[in-house]
Amino acid sequence: MRVRFWGTRGSLPVATTAATVQDKIAKALMVAQGHVFDNLDAAYAFAEGNLDFATNGSYGGATTCIEIDVGGDEFIVCDMGSGLRAFGIDAMGRCAGGHARVYHFFMSHLHWDHIMGFPFFAAAFDPNAKIVIHSGHEDCEQALRRQQEEISFPVAFDWLRADIRFVTLETGKSYDIGSVKVELMEQRHSHNSFGYRFTDSAGKVTIFSTDSEHKIEEMDGENAITQFFDQADLVICDTMYSLADSVSMKEDWGHSSNIVAIDLCHSAGAKRLALFHHEPVYSDEDVQRMHRESIRYEELTRDGRPLDVLCAYDGLDLTL
Amino acid sequence: MEKAEDMKWESLERQGSIVASPDGRIDEASAQSFADQLGQSVILAAKQPQQRLVVDLGGIDYMSSRGLRGLTLAKRQADEVNVSVVLAAPNDMMREILAISRYDKLFTVTATLDEAFA
Repeated sequence: MRVRFWGTRGSLPVATTAATVQDKIAKALMVAQGHVFDNLDAAYAFAEGNLDFATNGSYGGATTCIEIDVGGDEFIVCDMGSGLRAFGIDAMGRCAGGHARVYHFFMSHLHWDHIMGFPFFAAAFDPNAKIVIHSGHEDCEQALRRQQEEISFPVAFDWLRADIRFVTLETGKSYDIGSVKVELMEQRHSHNSFGYRFTDSAGKVTIFSTDSEHKIEEMDGENAITQFFDQADLVICDTMYSLADSVSMKEDWGHSSNIVAIDLCHSAGAKRLALFHHEPVYSDEDVQRMHRESIRYEELTRDGRPLDVLCAYDGLDLTL
Repeated sequence: MEKAEDMKWESLERQGSIVASPDGRIDEASAQSFADQLGQSVILAAKQPQQRLVVDLGGIDYMSSRGLRGLTLAKRQADEVNVSVVLAAPNDMMREILAISRYDKLFTVTATLDEAFA
């Protein structure tokens, strides 16, 4: 199972500014002073070995879109955030190479940042493409049609050329869709959200759990969540806020923290956690600091097998 | 699921405040006992002249998010009866956990128990 992250930012897309790029270059030059590079490859190697990720890279700014690749004939995609545009372009290339033009989407929920990529999804304009949109919400079609009404967007939903179908899934059931087994779990979020458990034929498990708030008054109910996460190879988890923010100023905004995500993964015996749905006001350095602190918290609270805590970024390609 | 555990706890009056001294690890198994005992200490503190609860963390060697969230529940209960809550004497690990969770921004934290009364 491979998991590709096409969009990892929460709530609102963010773009890198000139000042941010200048800051990264200046920091790199400070580290590199005195060094001479014979060619670009040598410069790349130096940067990779000597610069931190926030300087040498970026966590990116596209909103939620994740591809689960189990090697089957169909594309499996979680959510339609602004990262969907880049996935769509890449997928068209793969289709030109012979990949089937079949797309199975699994929607966490229907908020703006999770559907805004669909009007820019190239395959939606492909008359030979088949798109099946799975959701726990019965009003998924309404949400997608509404965002392409004339008041919001110039291209109407009915102008799309692909064969587009909507399927409502239920919690407590197991579905074989494409080449994966799919289960879903209801989560606390405005208008509800759903987490997904994907199991491939080799038994590898990825959990997609974003936009999920874990209320302090409902800690007893977290056993159901740890059961859903049980022994997962990868848990992609909403870690937008600090724990303090999630229980104070940003309570009831529908999101979770790195601390709670780590505790849930520890209880579930999960192998890897991907910190996800990054706060849009965070700079790359802020996200990197959150990642380092999360690794440290995992070390401090570990009571069994280590949990590999990684930080999702636009372009991350994981093989489980 | 881990079995719920009662935790060692002591609540004493000091200079018109209540000093609560939990002991041990606060994890999934002990978090409910920790939260219950904190609630009782808030009730005691509300009856004191200073209306202040000092939680002596000196005996706590570990606290997961369940314990931290128990502190929030206690603070909410305390706010309703005008009791202030101070966290005192965290060990190095607890100080790190309070910083990573940003709970050191939610609560007043003192390095020692005596500093809470300075």
